[in-house]
Amino acid sequence: MAKIIKASTGLTGLAVSTNPHHTLGALYGKILRAVAKMPQEASYRKYTEQLVKQRADAVANNKDITALEKAVGCGQVEELIVQAENELILARKMLGWKPWEKLSQAAPAKQWDWPPAQILEPKV
Amino acid sequence: MAAIIRTLGSRAAVAVLATKHVLPSASTAALRFASTAPVDAKKPDKPTVRKPDAAARTSLSDFGRYVAECLPKYVQKVQLTAGDELEVLIAPDGVVPVLQFLKDHHQAQFTNLIDIAGLDVPCRKHRFEVVYNLLSLRYNSRIRVKTYTDELTPLDSACEVHKAANWYEREIWDMYGVFFANHPDLRRILTDYGFEGHPQRRDFPLSGYVELRYDDEKKRVVCEPLELAQEFRKFDLSAPWEQFPNFRNANPPAEVVPPQAPPAKK
Repeated sequence: MAKIIKASTGLTGLAVSTNPHHTLGALYGKILRAVAKMPQEASYRKYTEQLVKQRADAVANNKDITALEKAVGCGQVEELIVQAENELILARKMLGWKPWEKLSQAAPAKQWDWPPAQILEPKV
Repeated sequence: MAAIIRTLGSRAAVAVLATKHVLPSASTAALRFASTAPVDAKKPDKPTVRKPDAAARTSLSDFGRYVAECLPKYVQKVQLTAGDELEVLIAPDGVVPVLQFLKDHHQAQFTNLIDIAGLDVPCRKHRFEVVYNLLSLRYNSRIRVKTYTDELTPLDSACEVHKAANWYEREIWDMYGVFFANHPDLRRILTDYGFEGHPQRRDFPLSGYVELRYDDEKKRVVCEPLELAQEFRKFDLSAPWEQFPNFRNANPPAEVVPPQAPPAKK
């Protein structure tokens, strides 16, 4: 059997991918390019690059789809494609939000205290 | 036949998931699977007492630290409750980025919005808290995102991230009067037509402001301002004695997750 195309993913609304290696490779390349625009020390960039490179390696090394799914261990290839699409959208939005900057506003004093009865203020 | 082969393959992938060999360098992912490790059932414990789950707490606090490290602009505090629930407390301008990160990031995948809750503490500067409960089916874990606002400051709507947020935010608008900016359809959802006020606010009177009654002369139901209005009373509920002396030195309800991991014990 040169190529095994399964009948269904078993998940509603998720069609079987015909050429998952190509799709995944393109998506991972796009994610890496989007993430490369972030500053070097941003943790999000660091972790995402690490994970996406790992997955891209798995895609490059495993020609068989089942072996690829086993190597990545995060669902079927179609699910991997969905995850990569989500990550790509997120990475592009992150460029606008710039979440690696310092805290935008600190919490007011006693905001997160619980239980609130311990707040020592004059009773209303 | 091909389908059977693929099914077997995915079963094998699940089996691999269970062991910790997946993603060895991505420590977060590996640690998060550790919560599924079997609990040794040798010790005869009280069946009614909830057992502490150190593995789950470690993995949760690791993930909380990971979120705080990825989004330092928005995350103010990360804490673990006594019932092993992870809470991320964020600044009000970070609702959409944090929820989008938790939904779309490979390591999070909190794709289900379970609920949005509100909370009113009138003595605070920002009296309302808005709580988002999320579920990740992929990693079988839950997370809670909390933020705060006051009567006038609008909060960004989560509808663009989670479709499910639509009605939950309408409910919070109805009950607490928290305004959500960019909400597609922010109307009352639970109260009646023409209702005034937000009934879950702590300063909303128990009797309400209006009453409905059948008027015999007009032969219809009329809505009038309440005649026997409850006047504002002060209840001083604090007793002169200590109510729960056994809990004087009890653990705090939530444990703060520090930004740096504690040094590993050897």
